[in-house]
Amino acid sequence: MFIFRRRKQKKAGSKPRVNEIPSKALEEIEKNDLTGSIETTVQFMKEMLGDSDDFSVKHFRIFGRFHAVLFYFSNITDKDRIDNEILKPLMYMPEHLLQREMSKQELITVLVEETLFDSQTNRANKLDQLVNVILRGETVIVIEGITEAIHVGTRKIEKRSIKSPETEQAILGPRESYIESIATNIALIRARLPTPDLCVKMTEIGRLTKSMVSICYIKGIANEKVIKEVEKRLSEIDIDAVLDIGYLEQFIEDNPFSPFPQTQATERPDKTVANLAEGRVAILVDGSPFALLVPVVFNQFYQTFDDYSSRFLMGSFARLARMLALVFSLIFPSLYVSFISFNPELLPTEFAVAVAGGRAGVPYPAVIEVLIIEIAMEVLREATVRMPKQVGGALSIVGVLVVGEAAVNAGLASPITVVVIALTSIGSFATPAYVAAFALRMLRFPILFLAGIFGLYGVVIGVIFIFNHMLSLKSFGVPYMSPVSPGDSQGLKDVIIRSPLWWMPKRPAFLQPTNRDRLGEVKNKVLQHSKVGNDQREEVQNGGSKRGHNGSGSDNLN
Amino acid sequence: MEDPKEVTTVQAATTLISTIIGVGVLPLPLFAVRAGDTGAPFITLLGIGIAAFGLFVVTKLGLRHSDKTIITYSEDILGKWLGRFFSLFVIVFFSILTALAAREFGAVVITAVLLETPLEVTVIVMLLLAAISARNTMNTFAYIHNFYIPIILAPVLIIVALSLKNANFLYVRPFISSGLHDSFFGALTIAALFQGSFIMTLIIPSMKNPKSAMKAGWWAIFISGGLYLLLVLATVAIFGAEEIKRLYWPTLELARTTSLPGNILQRLDVIFISVWVIAVFTTIFASYFLTIHSVKQLFRLQDHKMLAYFMLPFIFILAMLPQNIVQLYDVIKIAGRAGLIVTILYPMLLYIIDAMKSKRRKKGESKQA
Repeated sequence: MFIFRRRKQKKAGSKPRVNEIPSKALEEIEKNDLTGSIETTVQFMKEMLGDSDDFSVKHFRIFGRFHAVLFYFSNITDKDRIDNEILKPLMYMPEHLLQREMSKQELITVLVEETLFDSQTNRANKLDQLVNVILRGETVIVIEGITEAIHVGTRKIEKRSIKSPETEQAILGPRESYIESIATNIALIRARLPTPDLCVKMTEIGRLTKSMVSICYIKGIANEKVIKEVEKRLSEIDIDAVLDIGYLEQFIEDNPFSPFPQTQATERPDKTVANLAEGRVAILVDGSPFALLVPVVFNQFYQTFDDYSSRFLMGSFARLARMLALVFSLIFPSLYVSFISFNPELLPTEFAVAVAGGRAGVPYPAVIEVLIIEIAMEVLREATVRMPKQVGGALSIVGVLVVGEAAVNAGLASPITVVVIALTSIGSFATPAYVAAFALRMLRFPILFLAGIFGLYGVVIGVIFIFNHMLSLKSFGVPYMSPVSPGDSQGLKDVIIRSPLWWMPKRPAFLQPTNRDRLGEVKNKVLQHSKVGNDQREEVQNGGSKRGHNGSGSDNLN
Repeated sequence: MEDPKEVTTVQAATTLISTIIGVGVLPLPLFAVRAGDTGAPFITLLGIGIAAFGLFVVTKLGLRHSDKTIITYSEDILGKWLGRFFSLFVIVFFSILTALAAREFGAVVITAVLLETPLEVTVIVMLLLAAISARNTMNTFAYIHNFYIPIILAPVLIIVALSLKNANFLYVRPFISSGLHDSFFGALTIAALFQGSFIMTLIIPSMKNPKSAMKAGWWAIFISGGLYLLLVLATVAIFGAEEIKRLYWPTLELARTTSLPGNILQRLDVIFISVWVIAVFTTIFASYFLTIHSVKQLFRLQDHKMLAYFMLPFIFILAMLPQNIVQLYDVIKIAGRAGLIVTILYPMLLYIIDAMKSKRRKKGESKQA
């Protein structure tokens, strides 16, 4: 709500200046229709776009008879295609037209339907529309005496190749990740979902950047209300530039003041598709190699694609380790502080003595000591992110080994503190979603303060406070902590462990999908069949005895 | 209630359980033993019975007016002013209950964990946490209770399980050892520990399917009562009745006698207290929530969010009134028994009047026909 209010004020304040924005000037052209006179059109285009030197105007004659002109930006168009697919067929009359007499009125239809070898050929008669398509890299053909122009999609932008994902690597799983071009990204999704139910809706957001934004969902699975809500929230955005999906995220999230992410950005098309199939909505924006998934629940942030692509025991084990890391990264330093400063009697005696020995030369209370090292660690981490790759490795070694060792020797910290902080940092790296790890990284400090004041009591108070906040959060109407609370039996199978795929026949109910069946009945039986394949073979050999010898528990897993 | 009615049966049951199980667990064996010596488990069972009856009445009454809470339907039954007058008692009682729970746990914390921290600080921290959380909606309220339930049940079960190796079941015999009078008043004290179940009146209007409220209530009494009974049984079997009479918080002592195998941590009581913060929080949270929602409905307010902070100083002052821990437990005993009038007798009265009214109305209708 705050954001909306603030934005409205901003909008109201900037109203008188709107005219200064060139894109708005375009919308206020009084004579909007194409006149048919090349001279006035060229003059208009030059006025609009002529300030840029890469704007090209080329006069030529169609079939040697009709005077025409091409408009395009040379840097974002494909020169080969303009030469071979537009100019060549237009200048050099095709054979099947040689005998035909045609009037000017017929001409444009003939050109579009019989001459130009390009599938992206369209007609338009509004000047502002033409300027817009030229800016998007299309080539516009205006013919003398005709009040309609042809524009051909000749956009060519250099893009990088599809590489393997950098922030969400999977050991077992596809190696593709999104790139900056939205067309490629949608292609990656569509290639994985050849179904008519996949809907891709495009809109434009950003007064200056006019970024293409697309909303993808699977009709019949995604909840109608969520789709409507996403469309509504996106349509309310009025901003000059959208350079990344993060710009949109900040406008559409439910609670901007929460440290927890309420949308999930992913660079993996496979993950996007898996989420679409669960009933989520994906938002993509041109220029961003990330797709935004909504609505989200918290447990998504410690799930990875590996969990699903590997066997369920592996996936479950890895997930348990990750959850432990998550807890570590939040409360480990504060637990340490409260044990050392408030309740050393809890520790086994030998260990307590060792800790006390280590801390002998340290002048500060444990909480200050931990804070110093924590802050040093945060600085170090931020430094390594910005470092050029060649230096980064050296820095982390210097930072961790040398500074850590020196701090201990100098009596600034006890060795155990360094161990604790190191474990905490490693724990926060084990969380797959950077944004979620960041939330816990930030929340570590208030809990540390509470631990310094109230010991274990403070830690628990802090944790309760965080959980209560998480339980009150909602992402597009879905409670953030579901399926844990409010409980959902299907969803719960995929929270702490990753249950076998054949054990999760329904889509999680918390997303309120319109269709909940994930597994078909028949396929289920096939799975059961192949599962007991060994037993079956034995059955045949033993003359059909029931498989009683091989643990009865596995008989009825569904 | 403007919120969508989304509270499920399971959520209703877990909300009740986590509301019932609170700081009362710590002195529970003491209360039971004082009344019944070795017959403590029997007293507890009696208490559970009384509490179950109270919850039964409240639920039955709530089901007759499944869109309203006790504050609003008491006006329908008793008339506007009389209803409001009694509602005032409900509010005052739950303010006191909130305050006493916060105070009691504050006292536990400063005796067992934070020896040098002033009592005021631990109490205000707890109340502040409840106040901030009470700003949430009814649905979030249910989610919060639902979420914490395993953390509330687990510590007691673990401690009972770990300590049972020292148990001597001779201590719990004879099973009934006290007179009728003592047993009854002891059972009332135990039943007073279940007063959180009054929150049912606030849950019913928000339930998706109010008809299953009764089921939720039985489950809640079954689980929380079972836990209480187990705890009393274990404590008496380990310490013996005479020993318990000399302890303020026998449950805490029980936690002290246990240790984890492998000497991972030397003592468990501090961990127990820390985790117990959650159980106490849910109880205080529920009674705080009930208080401010009742105030909201009594004065026909639109929003309960500001009230959450407005009530805080009053409840804090109430919590600070008892001079010391001995006086505190006297107050708790008296307030608990007096509270039974509010949480059991008052709903019973309402129920009887309501039943008579509707009978008369039916008669009137049949006469007209």
